[in-house]
Amino acid sequence: MTKYVVKRILLMFLTLFVIMTLCFILIKLLPLPAIREMGRDVNLILAKREKMGYNKPIMVQYYLFLKSVLTEWDWGVGEQMYEGLSVWAVLVQKLPYTILVNLYSILFAIPLGLAFGIYAALKKNKWQDHLISTAVVIFISVPSYVYAFLVQYFLCFRLGWFPLTLESLDNASLFSWRMFVSMMPAILSLGFGVVAGLTRYTRAELSEVLTGDYMLLARTKGLTKAQAISRHAMRNAMVVILPMIIGEFIGILGGSLIIEKIFGIPGIGSMFVASINVRDYNFFMALTVFYTFIGLASGIITDISYGFIDPRIRMGSKK
Amino acid sequence: MKKLLAIVLSLCMMASVLTAMAEGFTPAESYDVGERKFDGGSITTAAAGEGGGEVNTVPYAGEAGKDYTDEKVYTFSDYITATSSMDWNPHTWETNDDNSLLSMITMGFYDFVLNEDMSGYSVIPEMAAALPVDVTSEYVGKYGVAEGETAKAFRIALNQDATWENGEKITADDYIYSMQQQLNPKMLNRRADSYYAGDMIIHNAKNYLYAGKTTYDLITDTAENLIAAGEKVYLDLGFWGIVGAPDHDGNLAPNYVAIDDETEYRDAAVEEGADEAWVSAKYLFDNYLAAGAPYEAYQSQYLYTASVAPETAWEDVGLVKVDDYTIDLILDKPVQEAAFYMPYNLGSNWLVYKPLYEQCKIFYDADGKSVATEEEATEVKTTYCTSLDTTIGYGPYKLTYFELDKQISFARNEEWYGYRDGKHLGQYQADNYSMQVIADHATQLMAFEAGQLDGISLQSDDMAKYASSNYIVYEPQSYTTKVSFNTNYEKLLSRGTNSQILVVDEFREAFALALDRQHFATAFTSAGTAGFGLLNYQYVYNPFTGEAYRDSEGAKDALVSLYGLSYGEGTDYATLDEAYDAMTGYNMDLAREKMAEAYDKAIAAGIWDGEAPITIDFRVYQNDTIYVQMFTYFDEQLKAATEGTGFEGKVSLTMTVDADYYETNYSGGADIIFTTWGGAAMSPFTMMNQCYTDGADGSGNQMEYGFDTTAIELTINVDGKDVVDNLCNWTNWIGASTDPALVGHLESELGAFTSYDYNTRCAFLAAAEKCFLSYYTTTPVYYRNVASLHSQKINYPTTQYNMMAGFGGLRFYTFNYDDTEWAEYIANNTLQY
Repeated sequence: MTKYVVKRILLMFLTLFVIMTLCFILIKLLPLPAIREMGRDVNLILAKREKMGYNKPIMVQYYLFLKSVLTEWDWGVGEQMYEGLSVWAVLVQKLPYTILVNLYSILFAIPLGLAFGIYAALKKNKWQDHLISTAVVIFISVPSYVYAFLVQYFLCFRLGWFPLTLESLDNASLFSWRMFVSMMPAILSLGFGVVAGLTRYTRAELSEVLTGDYMLLARTKGLTKAQAISRHAMRNAMVVILPMIIGEFIGILGGSLIIEKIFGIPGIGSMFVASINVRDYNFFMALTVFYTFIGLASGIITDISYGFIDPRIRMGSKK
Repeated sequence: MKKLLAIVLSLCMMASVLTAMAEGFTPAESYDVGERKFDGGSITTAAAGEGGGEVNTVPYAGEAGKDYTDEKVYTFSDYITATSSMDWNPHTWETNDDNSLLSMITMGFYDFVLNEDMSGYSVIPEMAAALPVDVTSEYVGKYGVAEGETAKAFRIALNQDATWENGEKITADDYIYSMQQQLNPKMLNRRADSYYAGDMIIHNAKNYLYAGKTTYDLITDTAENLIAAGEKVYLDLGFWGIVGAPDHDGNLAPNYVAIDDETEYRDAAVEEGADEAWVSAKYLFDNYLAAGAPYEAYQSQYLYTASVAPETAWEDVGLVKVDDYTIDLILDKPVQEAAFYMPYNLGSNWLVYKPLYEQCKIFYDADGKSVATEEEATEVKTTYCTSLDTTIGYGPYKLTYFELDKQISFARNEEWYGYRDGKHLGQYQADNYSMQVIADHATQLMAFEAGQLDGISLQSDDMAKYASSNYIVYEPQSYTTKVSFNTNYEKLLSRGTNSQILVVDEFREAFALALDRQHFATAFTSAGTAGFGLLNYQYVYNPFTGEAYRDSEGAKDALVSLYGLSYGEGTDYATLDEAYDAMTGYNMDLAREKMAEAYDKAIAAGIWDGEAPITIDFRVYQNDTIYVQMFTYFDEQLKAATEGTGFEGKVSLTMTVDADYYETNYSGGADIIFTTWGGAAMSPFTMMNQCYTDGADGSGNQMEYGFDTTAIELTINVDGKDVVDNLCNWTNWIGASTDPALVGHLESELGAFTSYDYNTRCAFLAAAEKCFLSYYTTTPVYYRNVASLHSQKINYPTTQYNMMAGFGGLRFYTFNYDDTEWAEYIANNTLQY
């Protein structure tokens, strides 16, 4: 298992390096933003670009980029966006908002999703199951920004239960109750879809497991229905559900462009697209590495988690 | 049976051959637009008076007697959409958002505010103590000033009460240090060009910035002409993507290489041994960019001339400390109508606080490695004004909070001289000013309706609800949005979509006549109005009176006749004003007539077979709902204009989203695009040459690709004598260009443009504008305006927008509620707008 994990991690870094290299070359091959500006001195911008090393061969630029990242953890400064600010400092400042909002939304969604899913599975083909399944279809089909508009309009604007936008740190600290309350509209908007997804998976898996022969055996051995479900059915169903939950946890770092925009959350949701649009190489590279790393790491963690949930699954065994 | 089969096959083959012949229509290789001569009418001139005029210096008194230092707290709550591009370093700022932040914490030498009856603007000294004084005679023989010159050196007495927000006095030394940093050659601050590339060119500022360095400027003539004149021309190797590529000795290619340089560089994109694996600047120029080569049109984008800036000591720069509270500015170019334009050019400031500025510097050597001192460094970066800790101001407010992409807050700067000097009574009632970052418009609206914002810009969808609100105000902008056409036959033909039909003048004219501009502005913009001219109502031709170019007789007459209206006895309209007011520019019947003419012309010229579908590509920046609606409208109107003509059912528009559509257009890659020009509202006479008429080589900002204004002969009868030159030269003369190659002929015929009075100048500009529009390579659609609401918490002193002073700004806004009262009010009431 250890050997498998080490091998996967090494492969992950190799993949990360290849993707990073390709992205660097590709973004550098794009033409620089136009500098045609009436009444302005083009030389000034050209000279600045020269000093920034834009005119060096791409591989020389890549070497310098790698060197400063690996030796000094210096991701450079913003050149077209957040100009002059350290890329790393900006990410560190904005990432907590994205993580926190998404983390809360998953913590909100997991118990609800599991509960609804279990209940629907236990009431399979009864009206409760139909009601939950219909709601699930609706909540899965509707994109989260639609909930965001509805939540904002009814709960924030009409009823005044929550503020329209996230509080600033000037008014509330990041982990304060006031900040949490101001995050609620975003948490709800993001959470509905996750609740629906978890409900569907849990219902499907549990329904299947409940019809298994070993469940019948467990009952005939004298276990109550609750004991059989909690000790046998849930454990088997979780083989599929838990990796999904882990995947959601990892995915939270990606942020949500639209939800952040609607609720005034200063997260990283819109930064990746913006960095490409304005050709800010440093932000683009930092975010590329970040997202690629998250994607690759989540794959490894999900794979490894199977082994912990179900001891029958062993990775890397040659037997 | 075999015979029958053979006959059938033969017939099929013949049919195929005939079909192939029919499909094989080849459009003509070129299209001749014919001789372009335009009669610009007659102008009776009048000479300009002496001195230009006087500016109003009596400002609006505000609500005099009001005590703004009372204990109540007033907060103005505003919003912005992002802080990602914000930069409030006075040496590098760029955008309007940057400027609005800077306007809180800094102050210009002079400010333009509402005048006493709020009918116009007034100039007041702020960081200066008085209006600038012409001291050119004191500098004769120095700083490039010659005997007899005037309006080149100005003395500015500084405000002795001005302090930094920490209470330290601001003196002439601060101004000198700050300009030295503004022009610091190791920093290359982006705003440095404000002092050498605009209207106010400080003597030797550019040389100080670039001392000893070679600078490259895009060519302003054809390469062939420049070479003939003995100039050396350089190629930007970025043209071929080989900057940094190695030569045979391993040396890397620089950015710019002379076009006669035969050093070969390895193009990594081509296999070794293949053609063009090794290319030189000479090869690239000769084969691709020279006259007659395939990319000749790109000369103006990739070819440069070079010059070396001489080593320049600070003492030779035209900014001189006279005493602790007096500085002199010595300029390279005399300032026309200096009473207005000197305060106008000094409306912002370059001041930075030395101790903090020095502390914020970061030094790098040529390899990008950090070094300890500025002397060792080749590049100096700064973190000045990037956070709360690195910001210090001297304006009416100070920055108190900054959170990236979330909130910016200001509080009253108690050290500001204006709160003590007695000259600012009745101003700045707000104690605090807060800007939340809210990117989503629906959220902005809800926040406004909930009383959390004190102002909001409206979009077209909002107008149904708010158009009749008592709190709505309209802010006219100087921008005119137009539709511009590519008329380069070869470029259009190469698309293979038959969009070469755009070269036919009547086709474009028909398109222009098919647009109901009033409907367009109402349906698709929040507050835009129908646009007819290149310049809109915001362009002021007389800065001393505020009179608008568009209201001048010449400008009105130009549009009335362009859109086919006439006035006077025996016509539909008695007066010019009546005809002008009746003008719509929309005439579908005439559009169809023109379309029919275009059809005949296209067939006769052999540029289209009369049958094949014509697809015209409309490039847009984005494809949101409004853009789709606008595009659909154009498509429908174009199709409507073809009804009953040979084009019916054969012409359509396609919409392509292209974030770089301006650049695409500059290289002829687009068929039609939206174009918008505006800004410089106090300089209408420079708009035509700066935005609409490129040089013969295509250099410039003109967006009507393929429209060569040097090939249009414009004749204007001036005081009974016909004066003839090309449209490009006319606009350069009107724009007061100093290039004798462009304006030499007209100056010899007519003298300097600025020697004429304002009405005469307007008449010349109107003739050039009409001439340009008459070829329908662009057609104005709407003038941009912004509609906005202000909250019930505040009052604007006036709802009449003033180009220089807005609605009075935070300086003159007054409050109906303090913060406590407002919180209570909105808790117990539903706000109605």
